[in-house]
Amino acid sequence: MTATIEAPPATAAAPKTRRKRRDWRAIGAFAVLTGPMVIGLGLFKYVAIGWSFLLSFNDARGTISLGHWTGLTNYVFLLEDDAFRTSLTTIALFTVFIVPITFVASLALAVLINSIRRGRAFFRTVFLVPAAVSYVVAALVWKMALFNGLPSGVANVIGGLFGADPVPWLSQQNPPVYWVAVVTLRLWLQVGLYMILFLAGLQAISPTLYEAGELDGTSKWQAFRYITLPQLRNTSVAVLLLILIAAFQAFDEFYNLFSTGLAGTSTAPVKPPLVYLYDSALGDQNYGVGSAGAFVLTVIIIVITLLQGRIVGFGKKD
Amino acid sequence: MSPMNRRSFLVGSVLFAGGAALAGCTSDPLNKNAGSVAGAKVTLQQWYHAYGESGTQQAVQRYAQEFTKANPDIAINVSWIAGDYETKLNSAMLTAEAPDLFELGDFRYQNVKNGLLAPLDDIVGPVKGDFSQAALDTVTVDGKIYGVKMIDDVMMLFYRKSALQAAGVQPPQTFAELLEATKKLNTGKQKGLYVGTDGVGEAATLLLWSSGADFFDSSGKKISFAAPEAVAAIAGLKQLHDSGGLLQGYPTDWSDPGAFANGATAMQWGGLWSLPDIKKSLADDFGVVAWPKFGDSGKQVARVGGWYQLANAKSKNLEAAKKFINWLWIQQADLQKEWCVKYGFHIPARKEVAAQTTEFSTGAAKEAVTISQSNGHSYSGLWNKASATLFLQAATKIANGQADPAAELGDAAKKAQAEVDKQLA
Amino acid sequence: MAVLTAPPPPAPVRAGRKPGALAKAPKYVLASVLALIFLLPFYIMLRNALMTRQQVSSPDWSWLPDPLSWVNFGDLFADPSVPMAHALGNSFLVAIVTAPVGTMLGSMAGYALARIDVPGRRAVFTYILVTLMIPQSVTFVPTFVVVGAMGGVNTEWGIIAPNLFSAFTVILFRNFYLRFPGEIEEAGRLDGLGYLGVYRRLVLPNSGSMLASLGALMFIESWNAFLWPLVIGQDPSSWTAQIALSTFLNAQQINLPALFAGALIIIAPLVAMFLLAQRFIVSGIAASGLKE
Repeated sequence: MTATIEAPPATAAAPKTRRKRRDWRAIGAFAVLTGPMVIGLGLFKYVAIGWSFLLSFNDARGTISLGHWTGLTNYVFLLEDDAFRTSLTTIALFTVFIVPITFVASLALAVLINSIRRGRAFFRTVFLVPAAVSYVVAALVWKMALFNGLPSGVANVIGGLFGADPVPWLSQQNPPVYWVAVVTLRLWLQVGLYMILFLAGLQAISPTLYEAGELDGTSKWQAFRYITLPQLRNTSVAVLLLILIAAFQAFDEFYNLFSTGLAGTSTAPVKPPLVYLYDSALGDQNYGVGSAGAFVLTVIIIVITLLQGRIVGFGKKD
Repeated sequence: MSPMNRRSFLVGSVLFAGGAALAGCTSDPLNKNAGSVAGAKVTLQQWYHAYGESGTQQAVQRYAQEFTKANPDIAINVSWIAGDYETKLNSAMLTAEAPDLFELGDFRYQNVKNGLLAPLDDIVGPVKGDFSQAALDTVTVDGKIYGVKMIDDVMMLFYRKSALQAAGVQPPQTFAELLEATKKLNTGKQKGLYVGTDGVGEAATLLLWSSGADFFDSSGKKISFAAPEAVAAIAGLKQLHDSGGLLQGYPTDWSDPGAFANGATAMQWGGLWSLPDIKKSLADDFGVVAWPKFGDSGKQVARVGGWYQLANAKSKNLEAAKKFINWLWIQQADLQKEWCVKYGFHIPARKEVAAQTTEFSTGAAKEAVTISQSNGHSYSGLWNKASATLFLQAATKIANGQADPAAELGDAAKKAQAEVDKQLA
Repeated sequence: MAVLTAPPPPAPVRAGRKPGALAKAPKYVLASVLALIFLLPFYIMLRNALMTRQQVSSPDWSWLPDPLSWVNFGDLFADPSVPMAHALGNSFLVAIVTAPVGTMLGSMAGYALARIDVPGRRAVFTYILVTLMIPQSVTFVPTFVVVGAMGGVNTEWGIIAPNLFSAFTVILFRNFYLRFPGEIEEAGRLDGLGYLGVYRRLVLPNSGSMLASLGALMFIESWNAFLWPLVIGQDPSSWTAQIALSTFLNAQQINLPALFAGALIIIAPLVAMFLLAQRFIVSGIAASGLKE
């Protein structure tokens, strides 16, 4: 079921010939069809990265033109700035929380839904529909109604049932309860999406495998561990990578949960790297540092992707 | 076409039609073209930040239109910017769509350094004596004046008279009294003090000023918020947090009178602009006082802010822009008065106009004016967003007991000094 | 992706015991409880949109306010400093251009890469594939620099342009066309159509489900986008609905109930899509996960 990138075309479209005669019609059509994409990607990816890379070696405050070469100053500033370093540890911590929780939750939901016959479509819809909500809207609800500091905030109502006092969830730092708000927000928005992926994976598992297991007398848990999980390997790898990359680029919820209109994100208890970059580039108008940061983060993400591929495999087997 | 394709085409067209209709019938909701009168040779772009009070947006558009009536060659297009006005303004100044005229709440030295502001001495010079010295000094760089103060906003501590009486507490004059009051006024349903939804707000700045220290030393160029008395005062923030009486996580921030007016807190740091709303909700059951002094060598403080009108030095229509500024903010005394008290509640920057404004002759409003004149304190032009961010981040950590005040502030001061030096370079 | 639409294999008769209705009950109970938890935020949005400003900030819990303040919806649009209607229009404009155009560009390139064998095809494919490694959000500064230089700051096209080119979409379409039945194209060639003709008249009309799925996903992503429109949108005329909402969430004085009303309105089109066009969205998501 896994389509690999390397699969050869089903039928040859153009007549194959050993001679070096160029098929100009083919080339023309290819150019027309791929041209816009090539140009667009060239401009908004390659040129952008290239220019920004150059800009990162310049002192570019309040300007986006290259002119003041300063070498590695911006990088040094960035790596010495403990706000940036803290943001990296913040995002690492965030990732450590969110990846396993989201993975387990979406897998569990998929297994649950898969085992229900009646109303499956209904439940699937209910768990998926939060994906229609944007991070901004979710942040509004989380900040103003679920996790506000009022006794009538949902989190405080629940806490009240256990006898706790109302807590200002988003500003209190000992203990850092705002993580509850941040993690549950992303979880609510995303779990349905990954559940769909796992559902597809689960439905692709041939029932004969389970039958063979039953004949051998395996328990449900053993069936799950030795049949289901291995069969879900490719899906799991894909899901893990998706959650990871998405978590690393978190911005929307941190910006909206922790901004005040007047101080911006200055009093935020945590800042992920993207918020830091946004503040330096657009807040301070320091595009040199912003570019350097973008480059550093890109390298980190590429390294993570490659590492994960090496450790867990890119899922191309099968 | 396959049936699926037809259906998706239909869905798509309906969405498209809906969107087009929506975009179409709201094609000019911001009245962008209101200012362009037929025959106007010049159209100025003007930016305001979104004042919270209703009626303000229509008022500024009306002023612009009146100006155009008197000067048919010049039309004005007003943009009303909500949210992080300063960041958006900074980004816009980079582009060709930079406004010709704009206001600023906190004057930034950096803008003069970058050649973005036009000197306005020819406008302000003739009426110099009519502005307070503070209003002029803030916008004076190298002897030239770069802004016209439009309104004075004073921020102070609002307190609930009945709540204080019930708890047997006097309006606090010292920090110790403030701490005491915060604890005593905490009745569970109503908390003692509200300084901001994040628990910090302006409190760190006020504590700093109330100790007699400031962001800069007397030279105006060296960062001094890590001095011992400053550190001691800002450490007081943690004491407020530990008192149990500090309201946090309220849906509206300190700049909104909501928390105080709804009785969620007995004391709140707020702005003069909130006074009308508070008066409506609480009638006479409130008073105002400056932020209490810290220690014996401290003093009571209130922040005086307000908004300045500035002109873009790179504007292609600089003369027209200056003409408008002169017309509205120097000449039209009635419009200035109306702007200050009809929609919101601000003190007119020009002393002459302020004297004529009767709303400030009695009650809490009168006290506010007194507070602003005796205890008023403002930010320096060299204090920019980056430095403020460093300061607030340090304050947040201190408030939550996550850092040693002296070390944290010392660290922040070093970085802030780097920011200042970059500006002066 | 084809997996979800294929009929499940016939369930064989099991030798063991069949799980009775009682054994199934806990699963349904669990699923129902979870469903209620998931629907809670929607209920909160609706409830708060119908409250007054005082009720929204009140320390007392209420299940439904009495009376219902429908006026908040009107207030949202009547407030002159909240350009919500215009922002919604912008969101529509951006999404309705991005989704079809972005999908088409992906389809064109994907088809060419899958079915038109020319020298250099490998190179072009690698060129596109490499851009996958460039994370989208992180590179907002470089993209801003380019768009800014082109004068696109504070314009709608500035918001739209970078999102039209997605290597991801190209790869999905390439996979799709690799498994496309070749008879259709052969028939077209027999009729004398060139490559472009075959694509336009035969291949494209038969790509409906894929176009719909990816188009739906692109529409959703565009509608919910925040960081890029925030970076580009300077003055209110170019704000999208998400930016407008965020701005007023962080404004100095906010009308909270109206904000919740705004939230409901903003999610309404997407929720409608999820309920009506769920099949496309689900297959689009599944396809995205299987891209490797």
